[in-house]
Parts: sequence; C-alpha cells; structure tokens
Amino acid sequence: MLSTLLSQIVNGLVLGSLIGLIALGYTMVYGIIQLINFAHGEVFMVGAYGALAMFTYLLPTFIQQQWYFALPLLLIAGAVVSVGVAVAMERFAYRPLRNAPKLAPLITSLGVSIALQEVIRVFYPGATAAIPFPNIFIPGTWTISVGDGVVPIKYSGILLVVVALVLAYALNMFVERSRMGRAMRATSQDRDVARLMGINPDRVIVLTFALGALLAGIGGVLYGGFYTNINIDIGFQNGIFAFTAAVLGGIGNIRGAVVGGLAIGLIKSLAGQYMPGGSAYDYVWIFVVLIVVLVFRPQGFFGETERVRA
Amino acid sequence: MTTIEKAPSQALAEPPRGRLAALAPYTSVLRIVGGVLTLVGAFLPWATFVLNDGPYPEGATLEFFSEPFGVSGFRLHLVLLGLASIVVALVPVAAKGRIVRGFGWGVIAISIVNGLYITVEGGGFGAITASDGTAAFGAFVALVGGVVLVVGATAGGIDPPTHWDLKLGRVVEWLILLVAYAIVLLLVAAVLTSGGQGGAANPFSGAVFLSFLGAVGGAIAGLHASGLLGWIARMSERHRIYSVIVLLLAALALPLTSAGTEYWMTVAANIGVYAATAIGLNIVVGLAGLLDLGYVAFLGIGAFVAANLSGAAASVVGIELPFPLVLVIAAVVAGCFGAVVGSPTLRVRGDYLAIVTLAFGEIFVRSAQNNIGGLTGGSNSIPNIPPVELFGKGFNESVTIGALNLPSGVLYYVLIVLIVAAVMWVFGNLKNSRLGRAWIAIREDEDAARAMGIRTGPIKILAFLIGAMLAGFAGAFFAHKLGTASYESFRFLESVTLLAAVILGGMGTIPGAVLGASVLFVLPEKLREFADYRLLLFGLALVLIMRFRPQGLVPDAHRRAELAPESEAPPDHPDDGPAGGTTVKAAAT
Repeated sequence: MLSTLLSQIVNGLVLGSLIGLIALGYTMVYGIIQLINFAHGEVFMVGAYGALAMFTYLLPTFIQQQWYFALPLLLIAGAVVSVGVAVAMERFAYRPLRNAPKLAPLITSLGVSIALQEVIRVFYPGATAAIPFPNIFIPGTWTISVGDGVVPIKYSGILLVVVALVLAYALNMFVERSRMGRAMRATSQDRDVARLMGINPDRVIVLTFALGALLAGIGGVLYGGFYTNINIDIGFQNGIFAFTAAVLGGIGNIRGAVVGGLAIGLIKSLAGQYMPGGSAYDYVWIFVVLIVVLVFRPQGFFGETERVRA
Repeated sequence: MTTIEKAPSQALAEPPRGRLAALAPYTSVLRIVGGVLTLVGAFLPWATFVLNDGPYPEGATLEFFSEPFGVSGFRLHLVLLGLASIVVALVPVAAKGRIVRGFGWGVIAISIVNGLYITVEGGGFGAITASDGTAAFGAFVALVGGVVLVVGATAGGIDPPTHWDLKLGRVVEWLILLVAYAIVLLLVAAVLTSGGQGGAANPFSGAVFLSFLGAVGGAIAGLHASGLLGWIARMSERHRIYSVIVLLLAALALPLTSAGTEYWMTVAANIGVYAATAIGLNIVVGLAGLLDLGYVAFLGIGAFVAANLSGAAASVVGIELPFPLVLVIAAVVAGCFGAVVGSPTLRVRGDYLAIVTLAFGEIFVRSAQNNIGGLTGGSNSIPNIPPVELFGKGFNESVTIGALNLPSGVLYYVLIVLIVAAVMWVFGNLKNSRLGRAWIAIREDEDAARAMGIRTGPIKILAFLIGAMLAGFAGAFFAHKLGTASYESFRFLESVTLLAAVILGGMGTIPGAVLGASVLFVLPEKLREFADYRLLLFGLALVLIMRFRPQGLVPDAHRRAELAPESEAPPDHPDDGPAGGTTVKAAAT
C-alpha cells in the first residue's frame, strides 16, 4: 500500500524532526564536556509541562482560544522553563563535578533525570496520568490522495518539521559564524587552551546547556501540540531516542544530530509497520540499530574518526 | 582501659578554629550543659495534646508526669545519649570532642525527627510549643541540648579517633568478637523492626524508625571516635575465618530475634536477592570498571528461565526440573546473555558501552513486556510458580523444630543467606585472583593493562559473563520466592537502583554492595508514608552522593583515590559538623 508507506514516512519525519531537536542538546553538551546528560530528555518534558501550566493557569480564555496568540507565548514559556531548569542543573549538579571522574557526572545525570520526573509527577496536578495538551496550531489535517488511499498530514506536524529545521539551521549558523560559537568550538577542542585564549569555559558550558534546553523546551511544546497529550515518560523515551540519534549522526556534530533524528524517526515508524512484531517492537529495533552503529561505526555517519574517546 | 595507649603516629588535637575558638575554655561546661539539657528535654512533655491512636506517643504527650517511670522509645535514647555525653565530659578519655560530637548529632537527629513529626501530625507549631494553656517544649530543649553538645564538642578541637593497640589472648578476642557480632545481630534486628511494619495501619513507623536510626548513628559515631569499633575491626581482621563463620551464623540466627516474623523474613530475603545481584554488578562495575546500565536484565533472565522450568501452569515450556538444576541452568543462560552483551566491549568503551548496555536492558524489557516467544507471559507475567521443595517440604511453609516455631519465609531467608555467602565467597576469591587483578588493571588503564600482556578482550567479556551468572542465580531464587516473574520487576529504574547500591556501598568492596543494597531496599520498606516521594528522594540522593561521597560508605582502598576529585584529597567525613573539622582525615586508615 503506497499510502500506508507514505503515511508512515510522514509520521517518521515528524517524530524524527522532534528527536533531532532534542538530539542537538545531547550532541552539543557531549561535544563540550563529554557528558551523556540523561537529564536532557527531562528538560524537554519539563518544557512541555511549563507551557501547559502557563496555558492552564495564566492565560485568559480569549488568548487560549486563538492559537496565533497562544503559540508564541507557549513557546516562550516552554523555552524559559527548560532553560531555567537546565542552567540550574548545570550550576548545582554538574559544575561541582567538573574535575571528577567521568562516572560521577553520568550517575548524577541519572539522579537529576529521576528527580525531575518525580517533581512533575508529585507536584504537577494530575500528572500521574497523561494530560491533554491544548491545540497550539491550525487544527485539522491536510490530506493528499495517493492512488488507492489518502496520506493525512497534521498541520501541527508541518509546524514541527519546519520549526525544527529552521532552529537547527540557526544553531548551525550560530556555532559556525558567531564569536560565541567559536568559543564553544574552542572549548570543546581543548578547555585549558581555550581558557588561555581568554574564553571563560564555565560561561560557554552554561550557554551550551541553555541552547540545548531552548531547543528542547520548544520541542516539548511542539510535541504536545502534535501528539495532543503529554505524560511524564515522554522525556526519558524521547531522550534515549535522541541520544541514539546523536550517536548515529556522530556525536558532537550538529548536522549529524538532525540526520540521525530523521533516521531514527523513520526507523521507528517503518519498523513498527513492516517488521515482525509490529509497533510493539519498534523500540527494540531502534535499540538494535543503536547497538549495531555503536559497535561497527561508533563515530556515526558524520563523526570524525580520529576523535579519541575515553 | 589504662593499658590502652595512643599510637605514636596520631596527630595532635586540631586546634579550634573560627568563631568557636572563643568558646574553647568552656568546652567541658558546654558539654555538661548540653547533656543536662538533653536529659531535661527527654523528661519534658513533647506534645500539647495526646497524639491520636497508636503506639507512637510512648509518652510523647502531656501525660508523661502521671507515669514518671515510663521513659521509653526515643526519650530513652535521649536519656542514654545525654548521660553518656555527661560521663564522657567528666571522665578522662581520649578524643572527647569527637565522641561527644557524635552523641550530639544523634540528639539533634532525634529531636528534629520527632519534633517535625509531632508538628505535622499535631497540625502546626502549637503542637510542640504551647497551646490551650499547656506547654510542651521537649523537642526544643532537646534540640538546643544537641546543638550545645555539638558546639561544645567542636569548640575544644576534634581529635582523630583513638587507635587502640591492645592485643589479648586468642580465646578472649574470640569471645569479644562473638559478643560484638551478637550485638550487631540484635542491632540489625532492632533497626529492621523499629517502628514496626509501615503502612496505613501504623502511621508512626517512619518517624520511629528515623528517630531510632538517628540514635544508633549517634551512638556508633561516638563509639567509633572512642576507638572501640576500630579496635574490634582490626581484631576481626586478625581472626578472619572465625569472623566469617560467626557472621554467617549470626545472619542465620536473624529469624530467632525480634525480626523473626513472616513479614520481616520476606523483606530480608528480598534484600538478599538484591545484595547478591549487587555483588554481581560489582564485578562488572567495581572491579572491571565497565559501566552497565541494563544489569537487571540478567536478574530477569534468571527469573524467567526458572519460571519456565518450574512447571508453572502459565509457562509454555512446561518442564519441571529440580531446583538446584534450575539454579545452574538459569545462571548459565544468564551468563550466555552476559557474554553477548559484553561482546561490544571489544570495540566500545566508556560512555558508549553504558549506552549499549542500556539498550540491551531496554530490549529485554520490551521483549518481556511483549511476551516474546510466549516465554515471559507479557503483561500477565508468569504467576503461580511453585515454591522450592526439598524433602517434600515447601520453602514457603513455617518450620517447627522442637519447641521452636519459625514463621514461613524462614527457609527462603536461610537459602538466600547461603546464596549471598556463596556469592561473596566467589567475589572475594575472584578479586584477589589473577583474573581479579587483571580486571582492576583494565579498570585503571586499559591500554597499560594490554601492554602488560593482559588479553583485555576475553577478560572483559568474562567480567560480564560472571556478573551475569551471579545475577541469573539470584533471579532463579527470586522467581520461586516471589511466586511470579513479571517484566515490571526488571525495568531501567531497577538497574539504576542496583548501580546506586554498588556506588553507595563503595565500588569494588563486598560489604559495600551488601550494605548499599540493604540501605536502598530497607529505606523504602520502612518509609512507606513517604512512598510518594520515594523516587524523588532517591534521585536527589544520587546527586548528593556523587557530590559529597563519591567513594561510597565503605570505600575500597584502591578505588578511594580514583573516585575522589582529582585535585584534592577525598572528603572523609561529610558527616562533620558545619563548624566541625571538615579537613580532618581519618587517621586510623
């Protein structure tokens, strides 16, 4: 069925853009301090809840009903909450461990991840179950008829893909062209030498966390808009996918993260449709791909071969 | 005690510093005042009303003066700590300051826990101050007493713990060790049962338990400072085999203590399962230095293998094999999976390896959830796994030996104690073997190890294989004891908890893994009232451990330097008071 295939590809691209958006945060943080920040998925989740909280408790009804008022406000709220959480966690959890052995920050990030998830579950009203997310974009679906069937494309999905690609492009420009981006690249290559060149590595690292969180927070809002409800597990799940995507694309590489994200999205939706076991096993296929990539091409699609990993 | 001498290597008392220095001349007075205040606090009323039903109040009410001899529970602990502080302040002993400081922290812990609890239960601040013409300042007086104790103790300078060089005859030392282990056994039983079984019917248990923990912690800190504990530890080191045997017997004797009820036996057996698994993980993470984030999958594999070979009705295999054989098969199957999971270590290192193991763990859970091949029962789990049987006796039945009637669950407890002992034995021997040294070498520097002629590839896989076998072994027991095998017991969070147990206890050490597993699985059991916050506290605890005590409770001598911050020496005493000697090193080690 051509229409089924195309629908799955559309689904995969939407999910893939989202994963790519989150993967950018993983890849940048890993590129700079070689930390797998497990809590990054939770930053994404917190952004979605932050935006939801603002929508539910702060916005007057007439703004709630007009998506073109609500959307920018929600995006800002999600980004602010995510960035705040990420900066706080860098400051209080990771910075004291800057010179500790690698295991310490990794386990800290697991702890932060669990704690953030639980904070939401315990203190956000109703968060023990999935919560409906408001409509943030033109409601409805654009349908294309293909041969024997139709391919539905939600408008909020189009929004997600476009925003993700634009943000990834902007981030790439920032890292490659701006002064601060150059400082980031310098810090990731050699923190001590960067310090000698007048760069403050702590500021660069905070900025890295903040940028990653900005994208994740926006991703969280768009996720809510597309999937119409959110729960506290979305952070961990999508976080793992995003990490896989970052590795797939070559960790530390911005373009790689986006391509990896799209690849993961496509694998998930196509494997769920066509592989034995169906959608119950789509997770399994992603992890299988992850293992195969890590074992046979650990530097990913775009990674530099010569990078020495500890 | 006159024969006890301080070792010549001991440093002199650290001079008092900062604002407390002004108080130095008054230290003895302060310590006595603190002790007296503690006593007074213990005898004052603690609540302006009678706490609602249940055993908690134990005199935590205004009714105290009507029965003047009813000092029990936390008030008894306060009396003991207060008296001990006064005695130490008056009697000439070494390391006075450190001893009293330990007692003082114990007093503070008790007063805060109980005061907070009464405040919360009593519906506000009035509960521990004054309301309706009644006054109850017990909590405040005791808290002030504790603070005065700590301040008084610290102001005089903190000596390092005393080092006793006393050696006695073999028989005397054996007797002392026997008594010491008997006390440990009773203490374990008391901690386990303090506050009783948590839950809705017994809302006091958490507070009572924490308060008791504070008292025990304060007393242990004081005894450690006096040098008694170090002395006994060195003595047990001298009589290693004897100590191991006595400890094993003590562990087997737990059912004879107050913990010998069905409920506590079940709890203890569960702790045993996780302790055995944690030791297996300790081989992979602690010795070989390979981070495994999906380790609980091997426990799950062992459990599902055992479930399928147990003759349970829900199993598609439907074979029933004797339990010892099942144990071996489960261990072997888990070991094979361990080798498969470990094989990427040939090419992948560090963080990436952690992700590979996490991926394997997730694949396992997803597959089990989807009832792969009909082997795992999916979301229905595999229920009704028959209990282990030996000589026609089910292990879930109660036991009667002569006049002694032991509750059901005892046999499982005994079995898991033996399993844990066996696993500890395997671990201890491996650690000191050629293989163990090879693992440690790989952990320290893989390239250097390879240069020294260690075949790193097979040896790393072997670490995974052996670690997985131990987990599989424990898993087979787990399935029979629980009676069901469900994928929900083997999620990512369980892996993190096990890892946390290993790290909390101290990586690469045997007592560490057991201690860590006990702490992480007893606390949630005891603090049921806070069940909602359990994971939140767990996450925060992980962050705090990594920040303040990354080397764990029982640090390994080799590991110690490695997990500490690279630039400075390891922080040895995070429990030091805020004004206390945070730079004091444990001189005894």
